[in-house]
Amino acid sequence: MRKPDGKIVLLGDMNVGKTSLLQRYMERRFADTVSTVGGAFYLKQWRSYNISIWDTAGREQFHGLGSMYCRGAAAVILTYDVNHPQSLVELEDRFLGLTDTANTDCLFAIVGNKLDLSEEGASESLEKEGHSSGSVGDGCVSPKVPKQVKPEEAMALYKKILKYKMLDEKDVPAAEQMCFETSAKTGHNVDLLFESLFDMVVPMILRQRAQGPPQTVDISCYKPPSRTKSGCCA
Amino acid sequence: MMSTKAFILVSAVERELLTGDRERISIECVECCGKNLYVGTTDGSIYHFLLEEKALPAGTATFTATKQLHRHLGFKKPVNELRAASALHRLLVLCDSSITLVNMLNLEPVPSGARIKGAVALALNENPVSRDPFCVEVCIISVKRRTIQVFLVYEDRVQIIREVSTPEQPLAVAVDGHFLCLALTTQYIILNYNTGIAQDLFPYCSEEKRPIVKRIGKQEFLLAGPGGLGMFATVAGISQRAPVHWSENVTGAAVCFPYVIALDDEFITVHSMLDQQLKQTLPFKEGHILQDFEGRVIVATSKAVYILVPLPLEKQIQDLLASHRVEEALVLAKGARRNIPKEKFQVMYRRVLQQAGFIQFAQLQFLEAKELFRSGQLDVRELISLYPFLLPTSSSFTRSHPPLHEYADLNQLTQGDQEKMAKCKRFLMSYLNEVRSTEVANGYKEDIDTALLKLYAEADHDSLLDLLVTENSCLLTDSAAWLEKHKKYFALGLLYHYNNQDAAAVQLWVNIVNGDIHDSTRSDLYEYVIDFLTYSSDQELVWKYADWALQKSEEVGVQVFTKRHLEEEQNSFNPDDILTCLKKYPDALVKYLEHLVMDRKLQREEYHTHLAVLYLDKVLQQRPSADSMGTEVTEAQAKLRHLLQKSDVYRVRFLMEKVQGASLPMERAILHGKLEEHEKALRILVHELRDIPAAEDYCLWRSEGRDPAYRQQLFHTLLTLYLSPSSSAPELAVAAVDLLNHHAAEFDAAQVLPLLPGSWSVQLLCPFLTGAMRDSVHTRRTAQVALGLAKSENLIYKYDKMRLKGSSFRLSDKNLCQTCQNPFCEPVFVRYPNGGLVHTHCAASRHMDPSSPRPGART
Ligand SMILES: Nc1nc2c(ncn2[C@@H]2O[C@H](COP(=O)(O)OP(=O)(O)OP(=O)(O)O)[C@@H](O)[C@H]2O)c(=O)[nH]1
Ligand SMILES: [Mg+2]
Repeated sequence: MRKPDGKIVLLGDMNVGKTSLLQRYMERRFADTVSTVGGAFYLKQWRSYNISIWDTAGREQFHGLGSMYCRGAAAVILTYDVNHPQSLVELEDRFLGLTDTANTDCLFAIVGNKLDLSEEGASESLEKEGHSSGSVGDGCVSPKVPKQVKPEEAMALYKKILKYKMLDEKDVPAAEQMCFETSAKTGHNVDLLFESLFDMVVPMILRQRAQGPPQTVDISCYKPPSRTKSGCCA
Repeated sequence: MMSTKAFILVSAVERELLTGDRERISIECVECCGKNLYVGTTDGSIYHFLLEEKALPAGTATFTATKQLHRHLGFKKPVNELRAASALHRLLVLCDSSITLVNMLNLEPVPSGARIKGAVALALNENPVSRDPFCVEVCIISVKRRTIQVFLVYEDRVQIIREVSTPEQPLAVAVDGHFLCLALTTQYIILNYNTGIAQDLFPYCSEEKRPIVKRIGKQEFLLAGPGGLGMFATVAGISQRAPVHWSENVTGAAVCFPYVIALDDEFITVHSMLDQQLKQTLPFKEGHILQDFEGRVIVATSKAVYILVPLPLEKQIQDLLASHRVEEALVLAKGARRNIPKEKFQVMYRRVLQQAGFIQFAQLQFLEAKELFRSGQLDVRELISLYPFLLPTSSSFTRSHPPLHEYADLNQLTQGDQEKMAKCKRFLMSYLNEVRSTEVANGYKEDIDTALLKLYAEADHDSLLDLLVTENSCLLTDSAAWLEKHKKYFALGLLYHYNNQDAAAVQLWVNIVNGDIHDSTRSDLYEYVIDFLTYSSDQELVWKYADWALQKSEEVGVQVFTKRHLEEEQNSFNPDDILTCLKKYPDALVKYLEHLVMDRKLQREEYHTHLAVLYLDKVLQQRPSADSMGTEVTEAQAKLRHLLQKSDVYRVRFLMEKVQGASLPMERAILHGKLEEHEKALRILVHELRDIPAAEDYCLWRSEGRDPAYRQQLFHTLLTLYLSPSSSAPELAVAAVDLLNHHAAEFDAAQVLPLLPGSWSVQLLCPFLTGAMRDSVHTRRTAQVALGLAKSENLIYKYDKMRLKGSSFRLSDKNLCQTCQNPFCEPVFVRYPNGGLVHTHCAASRHMDPSSPRPGART
């Protein structure tokens, strides 16, 4: 198996469409998905680099795996559903903490998916399929509803993340660049999302290579094993 | 998901051999090392069996175990774990919280009585840090709270090398190098026992389920995660493979590349590490132990031991292919890279790619098929041979054995579906066309090009002709027969031509033109043949079809002679032969002579005279009734005149004779002109034809390139004719006036004036006279200027002379000759204009320009 040169991880609550986004990008289609168990990953060749993209499970049960998946990540895609404000809240409450294991220069993208279901988003695609694949959250025929999460809210979260990571806004891509609204169903903005990220990740790979093998074991970062992470047995 | 058959379950040790019917006793642990199988039981016994493997033709095996020894350890405690250290001939036995070393063969404890006390569980380091082959590294979970100890175990002693404490009580351990992978009470961690650095993996709940920690290869572990996941983690604390999805109650896991095997109360499940999918499920009740030992997977219930025998990879791959599961077969094949020697792998993998290609092909997935054929470096002939009759009969090709696919031919594959068949053919066309110029074609160019030709011909494809007119390797006999069958005669001609059989090619095309055979490829085939012959260097061939070509069209046919490449023509074709041949074809003959005379500019009298005579004949022939002495000149006449004027080599008198009788005054005039009989010529033009412009043109024509005097003479003759008293026609007088006025410069006024009738007014000749006057005045003035200039030049010389003579100087013995530096002995000297003095003889011997003497320059 070829070692990937960089890693991108998709995080977000269950049912927001992480698997669908990845499937849309990698397989150019939108089909029924089942709620992800554990995680899955794809290898994407971008220029001469292999980038692995991890699809994680949003289900609470698998929450504990997130930290390990994020370890050494070059970029994290935080995904929410534009029609479910709670899914954005969850990003901050539940998922942001998982990214502590990512690279120090890890990039964050915030992606509001299922734009096609909201009123403004509806104009993005005229094709109207009878019913959305009925799964837990939006199991019924989906009438267009006003968009519930505004892009500004995502950008505000982005800025919060920078604060949390103690990053200077000047050193990282601007919020406008890192907040996307997508639809896995119509494909809207999906290529843009992944490919802009790849383009940003490549220089990081190069930088890392220039610095020699990635910090094998960074003693200064040593954290004595502790019980900090979520207790157990949800 | 269809299932794969990756393993079969065979019995190794049956119940009778072990516990028999003693219900209370059951199997606690198992160890296998080479042929040695050890079983530890709940009653503190160790059994030693010898495993005999018997290979079966299907690639699997059966096992028979014979009991070697049975030893009771002497405690009423179960034997928790057994580990063989074959290099030391020792078996490590964990029983009653203590690890004892016993001899592998007789199961006797080592005499030293060395042991590790206080162990709850142990793990052998399969990637040891120490290089000493006579020791093994053992890692134990100590009975002490939250403590892991690392030992070196020798033949008959043990040595503790490290003790580390863990944040929580460890429940399971595996080790690789310095890295411990631990299941603690609430989470899994990686702990480097050398540096003490720990890395969290992920949380789990030990109260709900027993953890599994299993080293699966270098620096990688398999762990039981939440929700029945089999999670992979490296010593760096990251996951490089997606998890496999087990049932919630998995109790054991083993690895047999590329599979992860798991055991729960009812099933043994097999997942692929390559695509994480469930591949096989074997019902297995009351399973209790699942472990792999150097690639051998053993499962046990509490009473009996079984072996999971892997089916050979190749068999598995073939099974997958047979059920058209291409993707999985490829993944499996590729995954085998690390298990098979490189050479063997490549052969195997290539074959799988090819087979996969054929499966895709049969499903008309041409894009995928093509890529597989390409990466599998398929011998293209395998593909061609699917299509009936495409391979040349001479081809030595035989399909590979065992076959790459199940199809006899395309008919079988498409089951006679014409549309599918056509699609397949189109694919092959594009595929062959693509590969024919790549290295894939090396060695079988003939087969490929011949097949391509056949496909094109059959499909009536335009590229057939392109193929034949560019470099190709089509085999002649095979291709010829096929083209004939499909009535592609024109193409067949091209094929013959490509194979240097021009005669056959032309014969074929001639037959098509003649309508003997039918092929409408080219509507302009006759012109094509003419062109072909024109560029053919085969004289014989050209002669053979010359008559045919000329009979079809003299004008076009003659091109085989007139349009040849000049050099080649000069070397090979004799014009006289051609002329003889063309006798029967008058139009062609004219064309050919024109070619000789005008294009090639041959100066042979015969050609020119012949051509002139032919023109003349035509002119005469075109004028049957002389009454229509039309003013307009026919084309033939124009050509004739042109030739008569421009050529200098024809026989003038001969033509003159021919022209005499006929009323062709203009031609006569030209001929007179050629004979320098200007007066006769002009007389005809002026008196017979009364063609004043022609007469003037004549003067210009004949005086071309001559000196002005000659021209004046001619014009003068014309003027005289105009003014001759014999023809007192008034229009001639007008012509004379015009001539003088328009061509004033061509006349010597002095000679003209006496000729003019006294009655003419000065007004009438004003332009001429003015011109003449001006000319004369101009000449005079020019002469005066020249005279003046000459005089002044003379004056300048005179002045110089006076100046030089005017001054005096003294010559004494002190003066030295500037050339030889000797004094002057005589009063004879030469003096240069700049004042330098030299001996006369010195001046003579120095051939120097006297105006620039450079005295002393020689020093
Ligand atoms: N209309 C619409 N439906 C979507 C879109 N993306 C995903 N879905 C649907 O939403 C449901 C959940 O999608 P998934 O991709 O499985 O969600 P997930 O984030 O991977 O969920 P987990 O794996 O459980 O974490 C499915 O029924 C999808 O068909 C989208 O852009 N538009
Ligand atoms: Mg998912």
